[in-house]
Amino acid sequence: MRRECNRFFKIKRQTLGAPLLETFLYISVFGAALGTRIDTLQGVDYVVFIIPGLILMAWAINAFSNNSSSILQQKFQRAIDDQLSSPASPLQSLLAFSLGGFLRGMIVAMLTFIAASILVGIPVENVHVLLPALFLVGFFFAQLGVLVGVRAEQFDDVSFAQTFVLQPLIFLGGVFYSASLLPEPFQTLTHFDPVYYMISLVRYGFLGISEVNVPFSLLVLTLATAALFMLNHRLFVRGYKLRA
Amino acid sequence: MKITDLVKRYPTGTEALRDVSLNIETGEFFGLLGPNGAGKSTLIHCSTGLAQPTSGSIRIFGNDAIDHYEEARLAVGLAPHDLNLDWFLTAEETLDYHGGYFGMPKRERRERTKELLKTFSLTEKRDDRTRTLSGGMKRRLILARALMHRPRLLILDEPTAGVDVELRLELWRYVQQINEEGTTILLTTHYLEEAERLCDRTAFIYDGQIVARGTSSELASEYGVSSLEDAYLELVGRMELSRAKPQEIAP
Repeated sequence: MRRECNRFFKIKRQTLGAPLLETFLYISVFGAALGTRIDTLQGVDYVVFIIPGLILMAWAINAFSNNSSSILQQKFQRAIDDQLSSPASPLQSLLAFSLGGFLRGMIVAMLTFIAASILVGIPVENVHVLLPALFLVGFFFAQLGVLVGVRAEQFDDVSFAQTFVLQPLIFLGGVFYSASLLPEPFQTLTHFDPVYYMISLVRYGFLGISEVNVPFSLLVLTLATAALFMLNHRLFVRGYKLRA
Repeated sequence: MKITDLVKRYPTGTEALRDVSLNIETGEFFGLLGPNGAGKSTLIHCSTGLAQPTSGSIRIFGNDAIDHYEEARLAVGLAPHDLNLDWFLTAEETLDYHGGYFGMPKRERRERTKELLKTFSLTEKRDDRTRTLSGGMKRRLILARALMHRPRLLILDEPTAGVDVELRLELWRYVQQINEEGTTILLTTHYLEEAERLCDRTAFIYDGQIVARGTSSELASEYGVSSLEDAYLELVGRMELSRAKPQEIAP
């Protein structure tokens, strides 16, 4: 895990600086510009409404991209062989890779939260939901990054997953709007997007407003994260696309 | 190291290793020779966890190296043929992290790293990222990394491929020294002179099978020729390339 953290700190302009700038731009463009035309959403200022989703997005995308690109890069250079030929168990290796991205996502999310608190002020209404929800989201996307990194054979595979799967799911999950405002069938379709439930949980944690059943969503997120972790563990035990 | 009936079959159906059995004695300098694609690297990968054998067993100093591999892997240092260094790490970090993967405490890692950087003339490059090192330096760093956790068995997969004469001689001298200090060594190489000079015993691997083993003179005698090189050429069916004088080649 130290190696993973060392890696993203060595390229911090790319791994920490760029996501922060991106989030700042979202707040500026969507919050300041659009916010002047949209007064409030579900009783809160528009700029405040979007911040929980931005924090989730920062954690999710950074956890995912760190793990997927780090694993693929090490596979590509075969540097991963040094770890695979060590006495470390598959569980230890998986946790080390997972937690690297998890921590990077957490750092970016925390910096985003601090910046947002200073710029616009954001409440924390339900910390008992917010913390487990954010940790589960971070760990889920860290696992997803590991899965894509292990399966990937070229850098295009990673960018495809991020650009064509992950980002649409996050954007269409309601980071910048409330699904209840959408016309049919888009409102119903949004309910098939798993990220919608994650955003709703985090928004409930911060703002106390939710469009979903909170305990049920937390339970499903926990089960999905556990299932993904078990799948990855199985891949590491088998050495799928890692060992010959 | 005791390999018994080892089979490695890839999903494509290719059988890279076919019932390979091999016994390397503690403290021995053992060579494995064979043409490209004969199964040398696959054998090494199976022994170090980089490939999953289809069947058979590998025991290293009495410990299972396939299923319950922890003790076996602690005893093995691998210097692969590829320069598989992590570009994000410095030379010093490369050694330090490797020690960490093998459970070495921080203080011991620090001391051992310092010692190896000095031994391999890399002290001045300790803070340089590995991608900026020359080919020779990378090769030395890979050997240092393999030795970091003080393995009792050192596996060298074509360690001198593509290196200049000076570095080759330097590496030979170093591995001979650590062998004399008690480290068992398994060497694969394409340089027959290297095997002849360094190895106590050598095995020929061909088409996934061990076809002969013994000292250089035993192998030459088995093939009815006068040198290890000619024994090898006989094995691969290229005796027309022999540099021996006609009278030295047995009828």
